[in-house]
Amino acid sequence: MSDLTNKSGKKEFWKSLNDYNDDPGMQKKREDEFLENVTEEFNSENLSGISRRKFLALLAASTAVTATACSDYRDKGEIIPYNKRPEEVFPGVANYYASTCDRCASACGILIKTREGRPIKVDGNPDHPVNQGKICAKGQADIMSLYDPNRLRQPLKLRSEISWKKADEEIIAALNESVSQNKEIALITEGVTSPTAKKVLDDFKKRYATAKIYSHKLVNDESRKNAWLKSYGTKEYPTVKFDKAKIILALDSDFLGNEGNYLQNIRMFTSKREVVGKTDFNRLYCAEGRMSATGMMADYRFRVAPDQQLDFVFSLMNELNKMNPGLISDSLLKNKISDKSIYKFGDKEKLNHLLNDLNTNRGASIIYAGDTLPEEVHVAVNFLNEMLGNKTLYDYTRTIKSLIDETPSEDFSKLASSMKNGNVGVVIHFDSNPVYTLANEFGYEAALRKVKTVVSLTEEENESSAAGIYSLPVNHPFESWGDANVYRGIYSLRQPVIAPIFNTRQKESVLLAWISGSADSYNEDIYHQYLIKNFEESVFNNKNTLSDSKTFWYSALHDGMVQSDESAAESKFNPAALASVESKNNPVGYVVHLTESYFVGDGKFANNGWLQETPHPVSKVTWDNYAALSPALAQKLSVEMNDLVEVEVKGKRIIIPVLVQPGVEDRTINIELGYGRTVIGEAGKNVGVNANVLMHLGSASYILSGASLKKSSGNHLLASTQEHHSLDDAFVKEIHRTRKIIQEGTVEKYKKEPGFLHEEKENLFSITTDHQYTGNKWAMAIDLNKCVSCGACVTSCNVENNIPVVGKDQVEKGREMQWMRIDRYYSGTPEDPIVSNQPMLCQHCDNAPCENVCPVNATNHSPDGLNQMVYNRCVGTRYCSNNCPYKVRRFNFFNFRDHFADAYYENDLTSMANNPEVTVRSRGVMEKCTFCVQRIMEARSNAIRDGKTVSGSDIVTACQQACPATAITFGDANDPSSPIAKLREHNLSYHVLETTNVKPNVTYIAKLRNTHSEEIV
Amino acid sequence: MKRTVLDYALKIRLPLTLFVIALSFILTFYISRPERDSVGYAPEQPIKFSHKLHAGQMAIDCQYCHIGVSKERHAIIPSVNICMNCHTVARKDRPEIIKLTKYYEENKPVPWKRIHKVPEYAYFNHSVHVNKQIDCVSCHGDVKQMDIISQVKPFTMTACLDCHRNPHEKIPYLQKVNKGPENCSACHR
Repeated sequence: MSDLTNKSGKKEFWKSLNDYNDDPGMQKKREDEFLENVTEEFNSENLSGISRRKFLALLAASTAVTATACSDYRDKGEIIPYNKRPEEVFPGVANYYASTCDRCASACGILIKTREGRPIKVDGNPDHPVNQGKICAKGQADIMSLYDPNRLRQPLKLRSEISWKKADEEIIAALNESVSQNKEIALITEGVTSPTAKKVLDDFKKRYATAKIYSHKLVNDESRKNAWLKSYGTKEYPTVKFDKAKIILALDSDFLGNEGNYLQNIRMFTSKREVVGKTDFNRLYCAEGRMSATGMMADYRFRVAPDQQLDFVFSLMNELNKMNPGLISDSLLKNKISDKSIYKFGDKEKLNHLLNDLNTNRGASIIYAGDTLPEEVHVAVNFLNEMLGNKTLYDYTRTIKSLIDETPSEDFSKLASSMKNGNVGVVIHFDSNPVYTLANEFGYEAALRKVKTVVSLTEEENESSAAGIYSLPVNHPFESWGDANVYRGIYSLRQPVIAPIFNTRQKESVLLAWISGSADSYNEDIYHQYLIKNFEESVFNNKNTLSDSKTFWYSALHDGMVQSDESAAESKFNPAALASVESKNNPVGYVVHLTESYFVGDGKFANNGWLQETPHPVSKVTWDNYAALSPALAQKLSVEMNDLVEVEVKGKRIIIPVLVQPGVEDRTINIELGYGRTVIGEAGKNVGVNANVLMHLGSASYILSGASLKKSSGNHLLASTQEHHSLDDAFVKEIHRTRKIIQEGTVEKYKKEPGFLHEEKENLFSITTDHQYTGNKWAMAIDLNKCVSCGACVTSCNVENNIPVVGKDQVEKGREMQWMRIDRYYSGTPEDPIVSNQPMLCQHCDNAPCENVCPVNATNHSPDGLNQMVYNRCVGTRYCSNNCPYKVRRFNFFNFRDHFADAYYENDLTSMANNPEVTVRSRGVMEKCTFCVQRIMEARSNAIRDGKTVSGSDIVTACQQACPATAITFGDANDPSSPIAKLREHNLSYHVLETTNVKPNVTYIAKLRNTHSEEIV
Repeated sequence: MKRTVLDYALKIRLPLTLFVIALSFILTFYISRPERDSVGYAPEQPIKFSHKLHAGQMAIDCQYCHIGVSKERHAIIPSVNICMNCHTVARKDRPEIIKLTKYYEENKPVPWKRIHKVPEYAYFNHSVHVNKQIDCVSCHGDVKQMDIISQVKPFTMTACLDCHRNPHEKIPYLQKVNKGPENCSACHR
């Protein structure tokens, strides 16, 4: 008692006031356990008749009886075989069909993997000469768009269902009426890559005399084409042989990120970043205002605002002319450039390196301007390349054709005004969305309301179809026939791999029915036959082949393309093109640089959860766009990440969250296009801010000078994945270098001391006995010299391994499920950071720390070196994730199949995209990279069937297959002749966090920077 | 008095009750064992197909109908057109064949009841086993003697591992046989 009392003799802890006052009743209560008379009212006779004994006996007996009586065979359902099995379909065996991607102007060759007639994966067609077996993240994720539950399923008239026949009849009548009343029929498309579709459009124009074809793409290469027209007299411009370039200067160009055919560019660029057996590196200079994926790869980077690029090019000309007097003979041009000095654009030493490199590597260097730069910069760059003799790097056998030109904005203004005046009878949106993509200034949406018949051929309701009358659903490319001719000499074919899932039609077929003038003329095969006929006329007849046309057609369909040796004529540079190029040398205000989103493109992919959730290559932000500002500018405005700012250009304004992006030029505001869609499926609705509204008419609409910027109230949380699963610690600067997560050197240093990486040897000891691997030992190597952080591997892994989309709210909490991530580290200064990328996935450690802590042995080691994860054993303690030094394990906090954005997945359709060889995980289960064990097992099964032993070259993991840079190598480390075994022994190979001695099986090849010094600058 | 009641309850009544419950569970466990493992499961099929007649008496090779078995994961239940290879001519007048022909002509699949099933999270591969010369009988029993097909062996993980661990004992007819893989990802992924 005494320790419970305080100095005044009163208790320190008390139960009630009675207790505090030492009431005598309390004392009694404390002594008796039960109060008196507590059982007085208890009378056994009042209880029910069944005694306790009887109850228990009955319970036991009934349990025994029910258990025995009710145990019967469980019904195992039915097996439904085919009635007549198609010859080529074996249930359980994948079929591959060659086709052509239809999602951007590159028209890459693809191989579609189908299981039991159901497309489940897209990969590049290895025979296609341009993309050579690779396909980008957008192409990979297109599977999700095929099974998008928000697809339009029926033809609609004013949002209510209508039959195809009735719609066709009404539209044909409207078309005929327009012609008879001499009213315009406007057909708006989004570029055309297919010569046969072009022919259909021409036929349409012939059939309906008042028809006009318009084309508009939100992000296009029109300024490059127009500049080429001015410089060389044609719009057909050559691709660049980046694999032959020793020096590359990229001017605000993201040629490794999302410009042109970046798959080809990445392959060519990284072929000069090979460290096995050679160190014949190219050198990449970047001059850009934003921080692009290409900028991250630069050996030297200059911060140049996008509206200063022409000045930069002129000053380059001037300095190079000074170094080689006589390089420029045109006196007019000399006058224009004579006062331009390059040294205001950055560090003098770096700029001198650039000038010397360009000067000494004449004929082996290339200056490459970005698609978003205005025409005059392109003309100046064309001249600069001409001046330095770099024309040799143009590939005239792979020129890019232009089937249909971008309609000039004046024509769109005219269209909008004649729509308003009632001079347009019918508007047809031919798989295009001009209400969203056209600049607000046209007043297109308001004009559309004045048109009597507005028809939208579209896969999904969009802003334009919602403003129209008829919404006609069209086939997904995987359900369609088609062709494409983008590159000279490559004619590729598209074939359907699944019957239309909904009541949709091929968009060209719909037009063909209208052309015939009768709704009854439609049949499923109409465009297919048209395509074959056109193929015969334009391809087969021009090809000197011994086979008959049918055999030739089928072989072309099998290969996915027909190739021919053609070459465009080289033409001379027209110096007059330069006459009109003037630099305006007075930058005012800020400059907004609008660029295409890396993953949702021009907004077309906005409803694709996989793409929305793929982290941005630089900022790692998902599900949003933002205004990227330099740290200095952010400080000046006193804004931080997530704060809202108001960006204003010529009276047009948007409010958008800020992301402080190291490396951005101080006047530049970089905003991505493709966000802020309002009429779209559930996943993409109101994601991000629509920055299209800032665009204005005329040229250079992507670079908006004279912008003003001010802080707005409130904020908007950006969901970035970089802070999650991070190996980096904010409070320890450059820990990724000190802890050797990232190890880098320079080419100079490596040439001098090849073993510089392994100078310090650390004595490591193991407290466990090592695993013995007698057979195969699977291992991976990732070459950091080649990785450009494009994200193709991440998406490929998502598709292959049934990785769910979790939605923005979950990403904010760090619960994204992607098995693979690409870590990005900055070093140096915030103004001029050096960026290092590192794909991170399960390292399949020999001494895996996750295995020791699992209480149920759900993660353990296989004899071929895999760190296995057994879902049906996992109880979800998350100890493994806690103990993983690489933070690559993912936990299913929800049943993400039905949680994502309120059960987006809960429909019959989305699960069709699942790979049947991989378990779909449910809530409470840990998961992680398996090294694509399903592919290993398939290779093993094939080897057993063929009586061979399984070899590492039989297995290609999904990420490896997708990597356009071939940075990922997979194979058997125990096979000394395999590429992986050699890479593991390479001088530049290292393991992340080597000193923990977990013995990872993913080897990284340290990045070399091709600078002029032995130190990284 | 109070004490003895408590003693009786604790020392006699409780153990007795627990014993009865435990016994009933143990009995149920053993009695229902084959049902739970599906051993003996022989549901009525939509067509009374006899393996005894086809595989036994007429000695048609298993792989004539189960074409996938040496090529891939699934053995494949034959599609109706395989049946019709013979039955467009053979025994056309029998009621079961008339039923079969009707399925064929109506282009409907036959909803065969499933007998053998491993759980969805296990990826069993027929071709790996068949190409290692393991006989169908080892898992499916002597199908050639079955008029109505039924499951004769349990398809549990224990059953799989039993054979993977002691192949010489379980499949003595194979002279050269290695142990099967025992690691998790051999079957689960």
